[in-house]
Amino acid sequence: MSQKWTRGMFLSLALASGLVACTGETPTEQPPKQPPAEQPAKAPVPADVDKATLAAQAENIALVPSPAEMQKALDRAGITADLAAKVPDRKLKMDVPNKDQVAVRTGVILADLLLTVKSAEKAKLSSHLAEIKTGMGELGAGSDIAATIDDLDGQIQNDSISRDDLVKELDQLSGAVIPEIEYEAGERSVPLIQAGSWLEGANLVAGAIIESGKYDNATDLLKQPAVVGYFQSYVKTEGQDKAPSEVISQLETTLNTLADVCTHEKLSEEDVQTIHTSTAAVLDLL
Amino acid sequence: MLRTISALALASSLLVPAAMADEAEAETCLKAKIWDGYSDGWAVRTATSATLDQGAYRIYLVTLYAGNEYKILACADGKAKNVDLVLHDADGNVVVQDDSSDRQPVLTYTPTTTDTYFVAVHATELEGEGTQAGIGMAVTYR
Repeated sequence: MSQKWTRGMFLSLALASGLVACTGETPTEQPPKQPPAEQPAKAPVPADVDKATLAAQAENIALVPSPAEMQKALDRAGITADLAAKVPDRKLKMDVPNKDQVAVRTGVILADLLLTVKSAEKAKLSSHLAEIKTGMGELGAGSDIAATIDDLDGQIQNDSISRDDLVKELDQLSGAVIPEIEYEAGERSVPLIQAGSWLEGANLVAGAIIESGKYDNATDLLKQPAVVGYFQSYVKTEGQDKAPSEVISQLETTLNTLADVCTHEKLSEEDVQTIHTSTAAVLDLL
Repeated sequence: MLRTISALALASSLLVPAAMADEAEAETCLKAKIWDGYSDGWAVRTATSATLDQGAYRIYLVTLYAGNEYKILACADGKAKNVDLVLHDADGNVVVQDDSSDRQPVLTYTPTTTDTYFVAVHATELEGEGTQAGIGMAVTYR
């Protein structure tokens, strides 16, 4: 702060000196000047970065909103829907051969866990954590994450962690740990986990909008072309050596549909129905 | 979890030479700020870290929801003197920037429409030539 503020003060002084010099006269018998009121100097933009550079160098790690954040946005939009109550009681098989499917399934369960952490019974939390642990193992996430999940599960079973602290730990797991791991299954793992979580969240939000009949906020709650484009870049199946699984094939179709919907300036009731149906088409295959 | 991260942070700090960037120190600082924020209703979407040279920056694409309040935090290790945060809109215009000259800048912003933004984290001033700093950045919301 001090350095930028000093720079601003220096400019003010220089400007004042310049004005005096330009008059060519020595000011005489002027009333004593009051010191200028201190104005907060506007900090210069550091190393101003242009749009092309921003777009070219941007990393996607923080691009995708979390399911809990979607719930918050729903609340802010005045749609009183408890997404946790709408999470289906599902149990997904994680030890399937196709690693892309494992990643999507892991993301869906992660979303369910994040949304229900405050209200779910201990057994359900443990079951979800076990599924995530298996999924991470199948993706080759290493042993540290497994130990972390075991530690969390132990604390839940012993009642040695409050639900509020569990929320923090799971936010951290979802937003800081899982995206930073290098997976043996490859670089598609993180975006596909995120895609699973986002798809589940978008499906629940679309369902809540339909139930409420409040379509005016649909654009702000569901239109996210950059997120859809990010996922599309990882699920493109064209030109791949092996045939994609049914799930990934449907995911690609769904993302293409969502990308098309995102071209609409304002989402309509029909668009929200399309989002709900097309996201369910992936989730129903899991 | 806490124990795991603390153990990892300790191991990292023991392994990293004093003159080198210390992402673990930055992460520990960031985590403490994130944890504190929960008492005021903030939750975390993403936390990440990087090592930057003086004058270098990292850009992150973020989706921000209309109506949600966002607080973007950065924490740098002791090698940094001034780290700056700038939020740009999708057209590259500066929306908000921090006006501090320290290594723990904070930005708050409440968008009126849901959109994609760029967060730029600048290692504006480090301790000296050839120095690198570990810098953590988090996007939190409420």
